[in-house]
Amino acid sequence: MNVILAIKQYISKMIEESGPGMKVLLMDKETTSIVSVVYAQSEILQKEVYLFERIDAGGRETMKHLKCICFLRPTRENVQLLAEELRMPKYGLYYIYFSNVISKQDVKVLAEADDQEVVREVQEFFGDYIAVNPQLFTLNITGCYQGLNWSQNALKRTVQGLTSVLLSLKKCPMIRYQNSSEMARQLAENVRQTISKDAALFEFRKTDVPPVLLILDRRDDAVTPLLNQWTYQAMVHELLGIYNNRINLSNVPGVSRDLQEVVLSAEHDEFYANNMYLNFGEIGTNIKELMEDFQSKSQSHAKVESISDMKAFIENYPQFKKMSGTVAKHVTVVGELSRLVGKQNLLEVSEAEQELACQDDHSASLQKIKALLSNDKVTQLDMLRLVMLYALRYESHSNNDVSGLVETLKRKGISDKHRTMVSAVLEFGGRKARGSDLFGSQDPVAFTKKLFKGLKGVENVYTQHKPLLNSILDQLIKGKLKEAAYPYLGTSQLKDRPQEIIVFYIGGTTYEESLSVLQLAKSSPGVRIILGGTSVHNLKSFLEEISAAHQGHIPSQISSRR
Amino acid sequence: MAETVREIREGFLCPVCMKDLGTVTQLQSHFEEAHSSTEDKAVGHQIKELFDKAKRTLLGKKEDNYSSTQGLSSGAYGVATSSDGLRYNIDYWEPQETGQIRSRTDEFRALRGSRVDRYVVETNKLLIRMDKLIAPDSPPHSDSSKRKAFEKTVVMWMPDADLKHCPTCGRKFSITKRRHHCRLCGSIMCDRCSHFLTYEYARKLTDPAFQFDGDSGFLKRSGSSSSLNSMFSSEGDPHIRCCLECRKLLERREQLLDQRNKKPAIVLLYGKMKECTDECERLLETYLPMSESLSAGESTYRLQEAQIIRTKLLRQYDVIDQLSKKIVGLGVNAEEPQSMKQMAIQKSIRTFATGFIQDNMIGLQSLPSEEQYQKLQDARKAEIQKRIAMERAATIEAQEKEKRERDKVENRDSMQEKGLRQNNYDEQTERTNSQVHRGWKPAENSVRVTNEDPMLQQMEIIRSYIKQAKQANKWDEVKMLEENLRDLQREYASQQRQTWS
Repeated sequence: MNVILAIKQYISKMIEESGPGMKVLLMDKETTSIVSVVYAQSEILQKEVYLFERIDAGGRETMKHLKCICFLRPTRENVQLLAEELRMPKYGLYYIYFSNVISKQDVKVLAEADDQEVVREVQEFFGDYIAVNPQLFTLNITGCYQGLNWSQNALKRTVQGLTSVLLSLKKCPMIRYQNSSEMARQLAENVRQTISKDAALFEFRKTDVPPVLLILDRRDDAVTPLLNQWTYQAMVHELLGIYNNRINLSNVPGVSRDLQEVVLSAEHDEFYANNMYLNFGEIGTNIKELMEDFQSKSQSHAKVESISDMKAFIENYPQFKKMSGTVAKHVTVVGELSRLVGKQNLLEVSEAEQELACQDDHSASLQKIKALLSNDKVTQLDMLRLVMLYALRYESHSNNDVSGLVETLKRKGISDKHRTMVSAVLEFGGRKARGSDLFGSQDPVAFTKKLFKGLKGVENVYTQHKPLLNSILDQLIKGKLKEAAYPYLGTSQLKDRPQEIIVFYIGGTTYEESLSVLQLAKSSPGVRIILGGTSVHNLKSFLEEISAAHQGHIPSQISSRR
Repeated sequence: MAETVREIREGFLCPVCMKDLGTVTQLQSHFEEAHSSTEDKAVGHQIKELFDKAKRTLLGKKEDNYSSTQGLSSGAYGVATSSDGLRYNIDYWEPQETGQIRSRTDEFRALRGSRVDRYVVETNKLLIRMDKLIAPDSPPHSDSSKRKAFEKTVVMWMPDADLKHCPTCGRKFSITKRRHHCRLCGSIMCDRCSHFLTYEYARKLTDPAFQFDGDSGFLKRSGSSSSLNSMFSSEGDPHIRCCLECRKLLERREQLLDQRNKKPAIVLLYGKMKECTDECERLLETYLPMSESLSAGESTYRLQEAQIIRTKLLRQYDVIDQLSKKIVGLGVNAEEPQSMKQMAIQKSIRTFATGFIQDNMIGLQSLPSEEQYQKLQDARKAEIQKRIAMERAATIEAQEKEKRERDKVENRDSMQEKGLRQNNYDEQTERTNSQVHRGWKPAENSVRVTNEDPMLQQMEIIRSYIKQAKQANKWDEVKMLEENLRDLQREYASQQRQTWS
C-alpha cells in the first residue's frame, strides 16, 4: 500500500492512453495539487506534456494541435466548465478523467455538449486525495468542524476522498470508528453507504484477512498537534509550513531570490528522502557531510586542466548542478531552522511541552511555564501553545492555574482572539470530549510504566511524547483494541489480526503521527499502515481548526460535489 | 543422480583452484598467497565480504548500514536517534496494481451518438441539396420563375400560410415584410434573418473530388476557408439563401474538415523531431554494447561499424537540436506575434530536446582510434595468455585432487555453475573488465578465447556441456543445462542493457 505510487500510476496511465503527440494537461485547483505533489514538472515533460492549464482560468488559447488530458474533480462547476469547453473546443482531442464517481446526468451533459466529437475517453480514476508520503495522505480541508459537528461540505469531500483512497488501493475494508465521536460514526456510515451504493466498484480479489479502516477524531488527542517537533519533515512544517510540498522561505533573512519558495519532495530529492525522518541533531551532521562532499566535488571541478578532467566534468555536470541546488536548498532550510531554534528558545520550550505531555509534575511544570512566559525570546505562539497544553493536561487538577496563566498572556499582549483558544481547546479536546485515556493516568499499567520511565530518566527529553495513535494502532495490530471504544460498523468482525490498516483522522493528522505509523509498520512485520487526515496540521492550522469548531463559523469554501 | 550428488563439494574451497582449506582463515591466507595477482583481487574481495557477512550473521550482529549516522546522533543537541534509520521509500519496491478504474466512455458515446447522428443525417441532406442547387445544368438565377420551380423540386417549401411570424426574430410578416424560404430545408424566415452562402463555399463543401471517408462519415476537403458572412444582393455572385440552422450545420462541417487537414508548422517539425528521437533510441541500443566491447579491446564487433553508427547518432542529435531550435524560433519574427502559451509550449519542447540530448550524449563515449584499438587488443591478448598460463598451473595442482571427477565434466551440477555466474555478475558491475573464468573446471580452461565476454564464454561452456550430456544420453542434465543457458542469455541481455543505458 503506497498512496504516492497509486496516484503516480493513475497519472502515467492517463498520459499513456492518449498516445504520442504534444499534450496539454487541463486540471482544476485541487487536481493541480494532487498532480504536483507526486510529479515534478520536468518528469511530466518527458511524457510529452508541454502545457499545464487550469480549467477555470480565462484566456486559454485555441491550439488544435494539442491533445488535451483533463484531470478534474467531478464538481458541478467543473462539469459546466467542461461542457462549455466541449462546445467550443480549444484543443484537438479530449481524454477526460474524473477523480471520482461522476453521475449519469453529468455524463449526459457532457455528451450533449460534444457535438464536434472531440472526446475520446471518459473515465473515472480515483485519485481524489493528496499523497504526501507513501503512507500519508491528506484532503487539505481546514475547518471540517462547524460548531462541533461536521460541516456538510467537508463531510462530502471527506467521504469522496476516503473512498477514492480505498479504490485507488483496491481495498474494501471493514470499518471501525471511535465510539466517543459522533462525527466518526457519521463518516463511517457515509463511507459504508457509498460502498454499498456502488458495490461493483468495490469488488476486489479477496484477501485472507480483510483490510481495516479505522476512523478517529482529532478531539480525542488535541495534544499531538500542539507540540513542537524535532524530526526534519515535521519540524519544517511546524516552523516554516509545508503546503503541497512547497515551503515559503521569503521571510528568511537574506535569502536569495530563487530560494524564496522551495520544493521538498522525497520523490525527487535524495537528501530529503534520507533525512526527512531523522531528528535535528542528525540532520546537522548530515548536512555538514553533504556540504563537504559538495565542496570536494566543486574543488575537483575547479581545476579542469586535462582533457580527461574535462570529460569527467561534463559527465558529472548535470549531477553536480542538481547537487548544488540541493545543497543550497537544504543549507538554507536547516540554517533557518537552527536560527529559529536559537532565537525562539525552542529547546527550552519543547522540553517544557514534553514534560507537560508525558510527565506528571504539576508544580514543576507550572513553574517552568511561568518562567518561559516571562522570557522575551519565546514567541507569543509558543506561549499560547504552552498554556493550551497546560490547560489540557491539568484540566482537573485541584491547584490548576489556567486563569492566572491566561492573565499573564494578556499582560504579554496576546490578543483576545488568541486567548480564547485556551478555553476553545478545552471545549475541543478536554476531558469531556475525550473517549480515551490520553494522559494515561487512569490505566494503572500505563501509569506505572510512566513512573518507571520517570525513574529511569528519559533517553531524550525532546522526543518523549508518543501520540495516542501509536497505542491505538499497537492494540489494533495485536488484536486487542477494545470493541466498546472502537466498534465495528455492521455485524461482521475481524477474527485475525489485521494486516492492512487505513487510519483516518477527522480534524487532521500530523507528521509526528506519520512517522509513528512508519515505525510501527516497520516493527510489525507483515503489517501495512496508511495514515490520512482531513489535513496535516502544524500549530497554526490547528488553531484555525479549533477556532472553526469553537465559533461554528463556516470555514473557507471547500469544493465538493453537489 | 547419485554421481551428481557426489560432485557437490563442500568445505572451504578455494574458488580459484578448488582446493579444500579446512578453515576460513586458512582459506583466506591461501588466497592471499596463491592468488594475489590483480585479477584475482576482485574475487578475493568478494569472498572476504561474503565471509564477513556470514560472520556477522553468525555472531547475531544485525547488518547496520546506519551505524555511522547513529554514532553521530549524539551531536549538536544530544538528541538521540528515534529514527532507526527510517527512510522515505521503505516499501517502495513493493509492486502495486494500478488502482480501480471505471470507464464511462461507452455510456458517453451512446449518449453522444444519438445526438451526433442527427447532425450527420441532417448535414448530409443539406449537402445533397446544395449539390443539386449549384449544379451547372440547373436553371440560372436570371430566369427567376424557372429557378424557383427548380428550387422547389429540391426541397419542399413550407406553405406560406403556416407561419404568420418569422420564427427567428418573431416579427409579423406583411406586404413589406415578406416571407423567404430556406433553399436547403424549405423553412420560412424574413429577409433580415436570411443568410446567404456563395456557390464557391458550397462547392468547397460538396466537391465530389473529396472522397467519402469510410469510418467517420465525413467528406474530406482541402483548401482555405471562405467567408460566409458577406451578404450578397441578388445581382451579386450566385448565392443560396438559407436559414440560421442550416448555416450552423454547414459551419460545423467546415470546422471539422478544416481541423482534419490543417497542420501548423509546429506539428510537422515536432513530428520530425520525434522520429529522430525514436531513431536515436534504436541506434543507441545497438551502439552502446558495441562501444563498450570495443573499448575493452574485444573483437566481437567491428570498429568501423561502430564508427558508422556513432556518426549516424551524432547526426541525429544534430538534427534534433536544429529542429527544436526551429520550434523555439517559430513565430518570433512573424508579423503576428505568437501567443504566450504557444511560446511556452515551444520552450518546453526545446527543454525536452536538450534534456534528451544531454541524457544520451553523455553516455556516448568516444571510440578508440585504430591505433588505440590495436593496442587494446594486444594488451588483451597478453592478458589472456597470462591467465591461461596461470590457469594451466592451477590445473596441474588441481588435477591431483580431482582426477576421478575429471571425466564427468557434464555432470557438474548447476550449483557450482550458478555460484560462478554470480561471481561473474559482480565482477561485471565492478567493471574490472577482466576475464572471469577462474574457479572452473581446469580442463575446460583452454576453451576458445575468441568469445571474450565472460558471460559469452560461460554460455559457450554450457553449450559444450549440453553437447556432451546429449552424447551421454543424460537428458535430465541436458534439460537443466539448457535452462541455465537460457537464464544466462537473458541475464546477459539485460545486463548489456543495464550497464550501458
